[in-house]
Amino acid sequence: MNQTISLRVNGLPETHEVPANQTLLQFLRETLDLTGAKEGCNEGECGACLVLLDGRAVNACLTLAVEADGREVTTIEGLGHAGDLHPLQAAFLKHAAVQCGFCTPGMIIAALGLLRDNPDPSEEDVRWAMSGNLCRCTGYRQIIDAVQEAAAAMRGDPAPEAAP
Amino acid sequence: MSEPRWIGQDVPRVDGVEKVTGAARYTADLKFPRMLHAHVVRSPHAHARVLDVRVEKALRVPGVRATATGREFPFHTGIYLKDQTIFATDRVRYWGDAVAAVAAETPEAAAEAAALVEVEYEPLPAIFEVDEGLQPGAPLVHPDLGHYECVPWVSPRAGTNVCNHVKVRKGDYEGALAACAHVFEHTFQVPQVQHVPLESHVAVARADLAGKVEVFTSAQSPFTVRHLLCACFSLPHGDVRVTVPAVGGGFGGKAGIGIEPVVVALAMKTRGRWVRLWIERAEEFYATVVRQGLTATLVSGVDRHGKVQAQKLHFLWNCGAYGGYGVNVVRAAGYTCGGAYEFPHVWGDSIGVYTNRPAGSAYRGFGMSEIHWALEQQMEMVAREMGIDPVEFRLRNCLGPGKSTVTGQVLDEHSGRVDRCITRVAEMLDLRPDRPRTPFHGAGMACAVKAPAMPNDASSSVVLKLAEDGVLEVLISGIDYGQGLKTVAAQFAAEAMDLPMESIRVRGNPDTDLSPYDWQTVASRQTWATGNAVLRAAEQLKTQLFAMAAQALGVPVSELECHNGSVVHPPSGRSLPITRLAMGYQFPDGHTIGGPVAAAASFVPEGLIFLDPETGQSPKPVAKWTFGAQALEVVVDPETGQYRVEKVAACYDVGKVVNPGMIHGQTYGGVMQGLGTGMMEELIVEKPSGRVANASLMDYKIPSTEDLPPEILVDYVETPQTDGPLGARGIGEHTMIPTAAALSNAIFDACGVRILEMPITAEKVLAGLKKQGSLGRCPGKTAASGSSAGDWGPGSGPDPGSGVRGPGSDLLPRSDVAGGEK
Amino acid sequence: MLLPSFAFSTARSVEEALELWACLPDAAYLAGGTDLLPQLRLGKRAHRNLIDLKRIQSLSRIRETEAGLAIGAAVPLADIARHPAVREHYPLLVECCRRVGAWPLQNRATLAGNICNASPAADTAVALLTLEAGVIAVSPEGERVISVTGLFRGPGQTCLRPGELVTEVVLPHASAGWHGSYQRLSRRQGMDLATVGVLVASSNGGAPPRHRVSLAAVAPTPLRVADAEALLDREGPRAARRAGELARDRCRPITDLRGSAEYRREMVGVLVARGVAALSGPSGIVVPGAGGPGPRTPDPGPQSQGERP
Repeated sequence: MNQTISLRVNGLPETHEVPANQTLLQFLRETLDLTGAKEGCNEGECGACLVLLDGRAVNACLTLAVEADGREVTTIEGLGHAGDLHPLQAAFLKHAAVQCGFCTPGMIIAALGLLRDNPDPSEEDVRWAMSGNLCRCTGYRQIIDAVQEAAAAMRGDPAPEAAP
Repeated sequence: MSEPRWIGQDVPRVDGVEKVTGAARYTADLKFPRMLHAHVVRSPHAHARVLDVRVEKALRVPGVRATATGREFPFHTGIYLKDQTIFATDRVRYWGDAVAAVAAETPEAAAEAAALVEVEYEPLPAIFEVDEGLQPGAPLVHPDLGHYECVPWVSPRAGTNVCNHVKVRKGDYEGALAACAHVFEHTFQVPQVQHVPLESHVAVARADLAGKVEVFTSAQSPFTVRHLLCACFSLPHGDVRVTVPAVGGGFGGKAGIGIEPVVVALAMKTRGRWVRLWIERAEEFYATVVRQGLTATLVSGVDRHGKVQAQKLHFLWNCGAYGGYGVNVVRAAGYTCGGAYEFPHVWGDSIGVYTNRPAGSAYRGFGMSEIHWALEQQMEMVAREMGIDPVEFRLRNCLGPGKSTVTGQVLDEHSGRVDRCITRVAEMLDLRPDRPRTPFHGAGMACAVKAPAMPNDASSSVVLKLAEDGVLEVLISGIDYGQGLKTVAAQFAAEAMDLPMESIRVRGNPDTDLSPYDWQTVASRQTWATGNAVLRAAEQLKTQLFAMAAQALGVPVSELECHNGSVVHPPSGRSLPITRLAMGYQFPDGHTIGGPVAAAASFVPEGLIFLDPETGQSPKPVAKWTFGAQALEVVVDPETGQYRVEKVAACYDVGKVVNPGMIHGQTYGGVMQGLGTGMMEELIVEKPSGRVANASLMDYKIPSTEDLPPEILVDYVETPQTDGPLGARGIGEHTMIPTAAALSNAIFDACGVRILEMPITAEKVLAGLKKQGSLGRCPGKTAASGSSAGDWGPGSGPDPGSGVRGPGSDLLPRSDVAGGEK
Repeated sequence: MLLPSFAFSTARSVEEALELWACLPDAAYLAGGTDLLPQLRLGKRAHRNLIDLKRIQSLSRIRETEAGLAIGAAVPLADIARHPAVREHYPLLVECCRRVGAWPLQNRATLAGNICNASPAADTAVALLTLEAGVIAVSPEGERVISVTGLFRGPGQTCLRPGELVTEVVLPHASAGWHGSYQRLSRRQGMDLATVGVLVASSNGGAPPRHRVSLAAVAPTPLRVADAEALLDREGPRAARRAGELARDRCRPITDLRGSAEYRREMVGVLVARGVAALSGPSGIVVPGAGGPGPRTPDPGPQSQGERP
């Protein structure tokens, strides 16, 4: 039941043999050791596993690895790093929008997907676009504030997106 | 210290970069070579005798390496009352109870084999509600209750389903009640709810051939896990090593000991191999732990001046199948039964009852959210029936300096000021009685209080040491599972040593082989306990630095100070950078004094006295109290019963704000968790199967971004705590305690419907509105009268639990809602 | 819970998809997968073969046809909701697409998938019923057009024959111009299945205007209420309350975790009346989950205008 897939993950080409019933989330976490995307529910209800698939935020737990064949995947590891954080990452820190951190990668990916579609979202837009991302710690207030501030920062700088 | 440099500042989270980049490693992110995967066999019965467990077929599944059963591991676990075994031995006590476990090379093989474990059950009658459990002749969930090991301050009653009973007897309740002009009685219900941490429970363990057991676990209490694993498996502490990586939320559900014994049992049968048990989201809802249910009956006797003189509180806790931890929730509810109020005469009973439901345990607030749901509605109802503004009523009756709690503890001026919190939230939302009113808009308030509920000797210790680069390393064993402990510890260290923040490194993913002891990360105790330990250790560190610097500079120790990374001698202006002292000081001629600078210190609260077992009295049962209040504004849709929270105000007396961004995060998060329980959360247990019907995030909803109220206003009072680090006291749990009760009070204010059973669904509100309509609604102002417990006062009706109550005072100048028409 | 074992095939054309289905045992078509994969995990469905439709170009586009606007079975809801022609002519569909799950799900889930899953609570179904949309179903025997009204048979059941593949959802030209609002109650504001969903619409132009009343989550299938529609056609908005009563009598709700049958039934009456009132202006009462202004559709950025990956 294995199949060979070739895709780009965070800008780098990857070719692997995967079982047909392996989710994109399992593939990223187990095969590529990209553990930033989390498994929170395995049913598309919590958003902790969000990644960008061809630039769009999707639940990696509801996507098969084979479905990503030939596509471009961006995970949280493809954004910034210490000393060169993505504006969303920096804004989450500044606004104390991180607590336990388990939802944080999914939150940032959801926000990134939103800002690609809509660089100037209202608070209502942010709430709507991120309602599939559960957080039990923060109560969301500071997350929403962080996304709106990052949006402003990203609008001010036309090329803020880090790798890929 | 003068004006603090770091305490009170918005220092960014010190573990923030690892969390926003995805670099943070949680237990489920760990990988070990040839790691085995565990799967637990669970009971399909709510209550049954286990006659036989056969694993032969399971062991034949390719890839299976081991099974573990109660016959092999008949060991008891549990933190205060050892009423649970790792796997069922003679009986299962809830739907989902662990019967056996399998370890296999793949998760698929483990799941397949688990399904092939054959268990022979003899179903037994099950009980699900506290009143069933208390019936004479009720089926016993724990027939051996009298033989379990337990701490001395827990009193299980052999031959019954009562796992703990705490009594509080203060003053002359009966006499005072008889003298009261007005008496009110209501019964309130709180269902079981689940913590829903985003990271479910997960643990990885290995038992090696030398006898050492290593465990990585998503837990709040590494040392308690180690201690209880040692007790469970009869191992020396040196042979068990527990490490806690990043933790994806806990809220009490990962306190004490949890799934670790299961995975250790399997590891002992697969020596040399790592075994991982990762609880699935569905299992998390029923097979880990939940918040206990509560049935609370309150009787208030009030004098003509609106002062509560006699207060009875009868709490029946639905502890579920096991009470290892829950017995202490029962105890905490006992000694805090009066909430934020001063009641001169009290008759309190807090009783834990076993049922065949998922096991209750610690949950953010540790019983306080539940009892405040009852008490804060009761106070509101009493005030309204008496025709007194609820804000004024609270101020008239609340605790404060010089007043005595239900246990007889007299508060002093450092105990925190609930009156200021009440006044502040009333200002923030404008709760003046004569404020302008809009139909179906309303506001309500609730107070909150909580103390750390822990053994009297619960302690924290820390190690501070300087590294070669002069950076101060802070070793703590409190868990930073989001509340910000690492950052707070860094702030206290930087403050005490007057160091820049970049000169602090916090080592906070504890390893029981290497880290200083800490009892548990629970009870909102870490800022206070670890904060104090850090300050104490810093003093020792300074002593070492000053001893060297005094010699090096030739000045008296008493004239030295730390300043921004240096030891300075202000009279001469001379100084030495800490980098020159960190590893010892070397004189120009080469001779060296001192050595690597390191210090350890600990903190344990002093002067705590056990409760008297008969009266529940103690001059100091707990270390500290944190008080607060919240108010909510809601708008109710009279046709659908749907409602929306428009605004929230929260104010707490935290002693000292340590980090504004993070304390705001605690408040927003607590408010939302409180709203979740108030609005939508409830574990639904089917009868008679005991199956949890909504064990998924599709069926059990928690609040999302779209449920966040448009406005949350936050403020803090700072009455310094005498034994708090720079005056600070705990706040982590308190932020969710009053929310659900304030919501219910606000809904009543908006539409006259009183909901006594949490959660407040739209259906319940609509049913209340209709009942109100059919009763001709609003009874209008009526003077309550009478003087005995049998006299309820007009408008409050002797039917507690009816769920519906007309507003009984002229404080509700609102449109007519009769007929549900607007 | 793990996904059971299955084989995965990629179809490049409708014909290939049909052939694969014919020769592979226990096969299912895979579009967005947001319903299918959880159902496989939970053992609610079992398939040994999945046939992916997302690489079939003809199913991945929205095109104008003589009959109207044809939406390919592999087009995600998010693309439908921001497609200029859909936004201009079928705003009701946009509104309903944006209430299915949460946005990341809308980036995967498809319109055809949402209705073929035949959930009684399918949010898009009420829009499609209102618009009198049809689906094009293809099998080796040929192609047929099924009205969405006729598609649903019961919870999870459609009239599709084994192996029959829905290739497109067709919105007739005539359905352009319907406007109204989706009145929806749920346990929480964010992502949740509807407890009750009511769409009341009226046609632009023509006097008197015509009406449609569609319901979700209150019967074994989403449904239209013809007599309520006729009443509104005859008497206009003043019959709002009676139209609600008719709809209330026509629904057959059950009690489940999201709400009781009694509550749902009563809410149908309330929401239909509100839906009628909303036709002539914004509803005066905005309540949780009950529609109201709703979030704005995000403006598509320049790089994503009408683009498909």
